[in-house]
Amino acid sequence: MQDNIQQPMISRRDWFKVGACGFGSLAMAGMTAQQSIAGPLAPRMPHFAPKAKRVIFLFMKGGPSQHDMFDYKPRLYADGGKTGKNKQTLLSPLWQFSQHGESGQWMSELLPHLSKQADQLCVIKSMQTDSRAHPLAIPLLHTGSFQSIRPSMGSWVLYGLGNSTENLPGYVTIKPTRTYGGPSNYGSAFLPSAYQATRIGWEGKPVKDATIKHMTSHEVVPGVAGGVLDFAQSMNRRLLARSRQNFEVQGVMDSLDLSNNMQETLPGILDLNRESKPTLDLYGIGNDDTDDFGRQCLMARRLVESGVRFVEVANTGWDQHSGLDVSLPKRCKSVDQPIAALLIDLERRGLLEDTLVFWGGEFGRQPETQILSGKVALGRDHNAKGYTVWLAGGGVRGGLSYGVTDELGYEAVENKVHLYDLHATMLHLLGLDHKKLTYRYAGRDFRLTDLYGNVVHDVIA
Amino acid sequence: MRVSWAGLILFSVSHAWAEDTPAASPEVATPEKNAAGIELFEKHIRPVLIEKCYSCHSQSADSIEGDLELDTSAGLAAGGISGPILDKEKVESSLLLKVLRHEEGVESMPPDEKLDDETILAFKKWISIGAPDPRDSSLPTSQQMRAEEQLKHWAFQPPQASTPPTVAQADWPQGMIDSFILAQLEAKNLQPTADASRETLVRRLYFDLIGLPPTVKDVRQYVEDQSVDAVDRLVDRLLASPRYGERWARHWFDVVRYAESSGKEFNFTYPHAWPYRDYVIEALNSDKPYNEFVREQIAGDLMPEAPYELPANRESRLIATSFLSFGPKRHSSGGTAFRMEIVDDQIDVTCRAILGITVSCAKCHDHKFDPIPTKDYYSLAGIFLSTDPLYGTILQKYSNNPTDLLPIGPNAQAKHDALIEYNKMVEAVEKPLTTKKAELTTVNEAKKTADKNKGAAEKQIAANQEAGIEEDSALKKKLDEAVAAAKIEADNITRLNAEILPLQAAVDELKKKRPPAPAYAMMVRDSAKPADVKVAIRGNLGSRGDLAPRGFLTALQVDDVPEINPKQSGRLELANWMTSKKNPLPARVIVNRIWHHLFGRGLVSSVDNFGLMGSKPTHPELLDTLAVKFMEEGWSVKRLIRAITTSHTYQLSCNSIDQNMQIDPDNKLLWRSSTRRLPAEVIRDAMLAVSGQLQIIPPEGSTVTGLGDKMVRNIDTKKLQPPSNHRSVYLAVVRDYAPEMFDRFDFPSSALVSGSRAVTNTPSQGLFLRNSEFVVEQSSYAARRLLAEKSATDDVSRVDLAVRWVTGRKALTVEYEEALKLIDPIRKSQAEIKDRDVAAWATLFQALFSTAEFRYLVDIDTH
Repeated sequence: MQDNIQQPMISRRDWFKVGACGFGSLAMAGMTAQQSIAGPLAPRMPHFAPKAKRVIFLFMKGGPSQHDMFDYKPRLYADGGKTGKNKQTLLSPLWQFSQHGESGQWMSELLPHLSKQADQLCVIKSMQTDSRAHPLAIPLLHTGSFQSIRPSMGSWVLYGLGNSTENLPGYVTIKPTRTYGGPSNYGSAFLPSAYQATRIGWEGKPVKDATIKHMTSHEVVPGVAGGVLDFAQSMNRRLLARSRQNFEVQGVMDSLDLSNNMQETLPGILDLNRESKPTLDLYGIGNDDTDDFGRQCLMARRLVESGVRFVEVANTGWDQHSGLDVSLPKRCKSVDQPIAALLIDLERRGLLEDTLVFWGGEFGRQPETQILSGKVALGRDHNAKGYTVWLAGGGVRGGLSYGVTDELGYEAVENKVHLYDLHATMLHLLGLDHKKLTYRYAGRDFRLTDLYGNVVHDVIA
Repeated sequence: MRVSWAGLILFSVSHAWAEDTPAASPEVATPEKNAAGIELFEKHIRPVLIEKCYSCHSQSADSIEGDLELDTSAGLAAGGISGPILDKEKVESSLLLKVLRHEEGVESMPPDEKLDDETILAFKKWISIGAPDPRDSSLPTSQQMRAEEQLKHWAFQPPQASTPPTVAQADWPQGMIDSFILAQLEAKNLQPTADASRETLVRRLYFDLIGLPPTVKDVRQYVEDQSVDAVDRLVDRLLASPRYGERWARHWFDVVRYAESSGKEFNFTYPHAWPYRDYVIEALNSDKPYNEFVREQIAGDLMPEAPYELPANRESRLIATSFLSFGPKRHSSGGTAFRMEIVDDQIDVTCRAILGITVSCAKCHDHKFDPIPTKDYYSLAGIFLSTDPLYGTILQKYSNNPTDLLPIGPNAQAKHDALIEYNKMVEAVEKPLTTKKAELTTVNEAKKTADKNKGAAEKQIAANQEAGIEEDSALKKKLDEAVAAAKIEADNITRLNAEILPLQAAVDELKKKRPPAPAYAMMVRDSAKPADVKVAIRGNLGSRGDLAPRGFLTALQVDDVPEINPKQSGRLELANWMTSKKNPLPARVIVNRIWHHLFGRGLVSSVDNFGLMGSKPTHPELLDTLAVKFMEEGWSVKRLIRAITTSHTYQLSCNSIDQNMQIDPDNKLLWRSSTRRLPAEVIRDAMLAVSGQLQIIPPEGSTVTGLGDKMVRNIDTKKLQPPSNHRSVYLAVVRDYAPEMFDRFDFPSSALVSGSRAVTNTPSQGLFLRNSEFVVEQSSYAARRLLAEKSATDDVSRVDLAVRWVTGRKALTVEYEEALKLIDPIRKSQAEIKDRDVAAWATLFQALFSTAEFRYLVDIDTH
């Protein structure tokens, strides 16, 4: 059980004073970061020097088909039509692969924009996870567990590092799903609720119309917010004066100031009209196919640029059990240009080097076709034993293709990377030791990677 | 009586062995054979163990791998986490031989080298003659020693009442609690701070006991009451209020993770969880003895009926067992995995909520920190696997294991039966109607086809005529056939319509007569065939170890609980064991929980964990004395709350003392009252109280009931939390979809046991207070209420009243000035403002609602 977060706090101002002297001086003062204000969100030193300071987590819900995008298998082209080892017909990739960039990264023609960024991508082709069912694999990807409700990765990161800005939430999720665990995929479980994500929009609704709750003024009378704040703070100051050493009151005062700052800052950051036309075009905003995801990606960039620690951007519809020929190109089209734009944009702003970008689904797909209602469907079933994700920026080796699946892509066979290893590696890049990032709950120290996880040092630059 | 730990392990080993080997015992050996066996051991076995195995499998190892210890005969016989390593009956099945031979599917031992064949053969021979081991069999393994040591942990010893210590400031204590507190303060050179003012105290008591602010009149009455027993009477009055149960039920709900949906990936609604909510509120209000309260929740269905007992009483005991049914579940799964997941949750919640210990770790291995062997876990699992939870989900498409529910209320069973009967009747009457309607559809189609054919033929004939083509007999025949067919189908349609008419009328009539449905509740009941289960090695259900007879935790020996009735699940005995006066934990745990709620910190600060990883009590004698007294005085929660709140310690101010801050900055020794934040529910209720909108009459049932059996994701979020002015305890508790405000103010996850909530100050709280519709609306209502107040008709008295409502004290002059500065511009603004006065005063309330003084229990300024 966490021992009381209410205990002595130092004020936000003091924190930034002390914070400048580093973590050690705080520890000497006998306080932990958690006791300070902005309280749980105050910046904290990582365990060791980080390569990345923030994360953009691009979640492709459904399980993208690696066979048609990243994991080039010449044998699968050749063997298409034959019976595979799961007794169904092997399905040749429907699109052509070619090599890209100096690294010669293999990518299919479905990703014309992203393939120009091939040298930025560290493509991990030997991913494995513990379930091939969406309802379990999605929470697993986000929280490291489907057995029990556990904090999401973003919450762990925020708990470990705090927020780097006072004026914005530390963890934002854009258009999350309500299915398969819904909010617990970005929840804080037993960590204090301050570590849960701030949500923008829902899956299935255009992000254009989405708002963050309580960010826009809902005052009784417009224009009096300043007066309301002044009155409240004046009362708080008097209370502080007569109840000496009352850190809780200081905490309230700081949180009110910060909420004021946040309300002034955040709407501007989410206002994409402040971007130039060329930038909007770069992301494909205004174009029907790419408008929505382009906006999500651009928001993500604007958020991390302003100091948000962890942003998840979700895209849905990657579950091609049938209609692969029509539906996959459509999905790819909707994300290809925006993601490429995000990488270009981050790089030209000097942000890519310390922003870790993740792309992937909860699992991948099979090399064989699927039988649906007795008929052979042009689609692929789930695959948890071998699938592809990629990382970019934030200290990873761009242009690397890591790990290998068997010749038909059923299973990872070389340099297997389990989901726990991926989590451990991502935390490592952020300067966090996944074995030390723990929280005492129910008499035991919990962590994102449970009892598992090895950092994959080979993917780190 | 306590059985020694080592003894237990040895017992369990021989027990398992006895089960497996009904034949002659190999341990009965002749002296010659014995001597030869010992020689074999000394010559060929022991040296190998020492040289090749001890580095990982002995007390001298850095960490004992796989919990296997080979340096004692007890350890060798017991085996490790993978179970016994010796199979004296089926020698070839011995795990030891398999690992030595580096067989497939087991770990190879030693890991880096394979012993020579001769040595392995010696091991085989040694096992086949019964694995004689001359080492002292009474020597414990290090795990046994650790367990022995763990058993000495303070929380596993029976609580002992102590005489209150004598103190220097003899006139300070108002009762025994104060003596214990003051003694420690004096020992540490701490001076208790000044007493809280009456204004501060009355507000603290109202919020702590009933979760609502005192009215201006309540405050005045108490402040002016000069009688010596003023506090006692106030406490009694608050404890007698029905609002008390509503406030304290929420504390219990945090612990038992009460919710109205299944959570997890699919998150199905539980429309019938709410009767448990009402049960808890009622139990608290009637001050049901805590041991009874717990017993009912674990085994209410098995408890004997009292003579002439009211049916409603018995029903409430059944409802109480919902406690074991509304936990988070994955209804989309099935089989043993689904059942074990429920059992895991039941073991976790009962042990943590009631005993303050975590047992679930023992599922896969002996508990790392507490003396809880894996076998104990499966003894409990047997009890819960012999219990069927009833959770409904009957209409859930994706629920693989729906169950019935308990009909409740007057004539519930009759109503339920009538409804079932009625549904059958509707089905019976609808069946012919459905058939006829289907027939009609077919006939309609046929008629259409005939008409089409007729039309086509006619058209062709006409065209032929036009073109002067001579009559085609085939065509003519076609037309005739089509006409005949159309006629037949037309007749059919008429006939069917005539037949349908009365059937439809009958169905319509029947549907009007739908009998009223009863309400339903969740519960549990014993399964048809209660049985023991075997240990699942490493928690793997496919790999079975020893049988674990149903029972309780061996670390907590209680001798006044009868054996488990083999024909029942064992829950009744479990409930009695859990609440036995001889069980060292339940009274301590609940006393500490109550203390935690009244001081913001438990005497044991890890309120859900009294095990070795938990915190030590700051005042062990006080905790024990309170626990013993609690049991002796009939487990009365109200009595305990009364004793604590009438103590001097509780009634201190928050006032700081510099010297004390140096010694005890965290106020662990309670030299002052800690500044505590009100929980989310209380903040909301207090706003509703100030705005005058609070609907104090409890609602019937829950809004979730009206949603029916649904997946939460398919429900509009607005419908999950429809607007309500009821007290917060009555808002729907849908897992993952807590009301926005609760999320902001640290409402815990309703999937997890949370005896202690986090308290954070975050910007999102500020945003909620500034911009949420709820706060803005309540501010407006408060303004209307203020403007209608006859006792306050000018600005001065209005500001004063507003401040009194929100903070419990009179307004300061400076506040009056600042308030005018805030509201005057609005009143005098040239802009068009609807209900200008209301808007102005609402703005003031919004400001007041966002102050620390509103949501924290602080010292009230009485100057």
